[in-house]
Amino acid sequence: MKLFDPHIHMTSRTTSDYQAMADAGISAIIEPSFWLGQPRTHVGTFEDYFLSLLGWERFRASQFGISHFCTLSINPKEANSPSIAQGVLELLPRYLEKDGVVAVGEIGFDNQTDAEEHLFAEQLKLAMEFDLPVLIHTPHRDKKRGTERSLELVSKVGFPEHRVLIDHNNEETLPLVLETDCWAGHSIYPDTKMDELRMVALIQTYGSDRIIINSAADWGVSDPLKVPKTVAAMFEAGLDEQTIQTVVWDNPVAFFGQSERLDLDRDPINQSQLWEGNSVLRGQEPVVEPQN
Amino acid sequence: MVDGSGDALYTDASEEQSTPCGALLTSDLISANLLDLVLRRCSGVAKDWLLRSVSSLDSPLDPNIFGAAYAGSRRRLGSEPFILDADEQAALKGSELLALSQHPLDEVCRIALLSRASEYLPTEDYSSFISELYLRGDNFERQALLRGLIYLPNPERFLSTAVEACRTSVQVIFEAIACDNPYPWRYFLEPNYNQMVLKALFIGSPLVRVVGIHKRITPELVRMAKDYAAERQAANRSVPEDIALYITKNPGVRYEAI
Repeated sequence: MKLFDPHIHMTSRTTSDYQAMADAGISAIIEPSFWLGQPRTHVGTFEDYFLSLLGWERFRASQFGISHFCTLSINPKEANSPSIAQGVLELLPRYLEKDGVVAVGEIGFDNQTDAEEHLFAEQLKLAMEFDLPVLIHTPHRDKKRGTERSLELVSKVGFPEHRVLIDHNNEETLPLVLETDCWAGHSIYPDTKMDELRMVALIQTYGSDRIIINSAADWGVSDPLKVPKTVAAMFEAGLDEQTIQTVVWDNPVAFFGQSERLDLDRDPINQSQLWEGNSVLRGQEPVVEPQN
Repeated sequence: MVDGSGDALYTDASEEQSTPCGALLTSDLISANLLDLVLRRCSGVAKDWLLRSVSSLDSPLDPNIFGAAYAGSRRRLGSEPFILDADEQAALKGSELLALSQHPLDEVCRIALLSRASEYLPTEDYSSFISELYLRGDNFERQALLRGLIYLPNPERFLSTAVEACRTSVQVIFEAIACDNPYPWRYFLEPNYNQMVLKALFIGSPLVRVVGIHKRITPELVRMAKDYAAERQAANRSVPEDIALYITKNPGVRYEAI
């Protein structure tokens, strides 16, 4: 079964992680732009970060046969740095048209401040302008209220709900999301957010429609293999194969496919030539014309 | 991509000065020719998009409008190989535009857009426009820009961008400047050229694709290549065949550090 991890921050992970993910069947990933653990102090740092998500990280993933896509935004935490946030907002149009950008995100609330709400709304409008779906982060603290406010803002801006993925859901927030036409993401974490068995229970209760899971692995304690581990838990619990495939492949493909940029058929860049540390290319017999 | 050394496709650096781009084509003729050739291969929404994008370019050029057209080319037009038919080849006889045959269509489109942009920018602003576009490009945008440099007016202006590109860790970007591209042969200084060749050996980019290499072999490059071979042998690693084939011209030799 091909697996999709539609929320993982590979910039913070190693090549061993890429190898383990490929071995476990993960063939496509989405890397949302996010918070790097401390506030950035220059707009230019964001530009280099975006370039890395569009360039180096895609290339690195291709070395392991994994298709890499990204979502771009100013994230909710850094929305609270006004001078930086405005500059990044002005930078985004130059980047949202690029190939491999499959949504605007992560956007949403962190501390639920006015500045966060302003940036959230502005980025929903940008997503409409660039015909992209949105990935919405829900806060760790006061999560249920943050989810309600996010859904209210989506409605107020007039953003189409079927193009919204509300992420990091739990037992309290999932019913709220499923009442709308939005999709529901779940981050399977070692300790916090959501775990494999709770996820199985949610699917048993609510079915697989509009349900997505991810590892949200980053620089903190997290696990890039949580999608395959949850697949194992789902099989163990006796969920049928079609339900599992819906959650770990069909749904993320359908949701992010709305960008019309999720080109999963595209061969990874020169994969055959680059595989195994370039040795294939070196081993080829080049056509040698006589010199002199 | 062009296979083989491809040298025959390109004029020598010295000839190049008397016949720009080897075909007496000025930049407006190049952009008109290329855009026309790309448009012939587009239909429906792709063609509408390209016509709209080209007509949105104006003087002075708005880098954001240009950036959107340049970024969108691959997704909107696709990347099927650009293959010239017999009539088109005959019409372009002697032109270096022939070398673009087999390149992805979006790449040719991006080169046409770069060429068109040169008409809408003051000469003094054009090289900074190119370096900014490189900086803000993704892997495919950067490859197209590097392959397009020789078709733009006064390519020597873009030396710093071309040399910078050799620093990349992304092999396809490195090869866009180092392989099947006469730019380094014509414009790189010896240290730039030698470093590029050594990097090609390191990362396994075949020297058969490095245009003009047989004319850029210098004692310093030979020394660098021999040192690299000796270092490989000392570590019980294989020595790239290309060193003997293209640089030392001495197959079977056992290298020792000089």
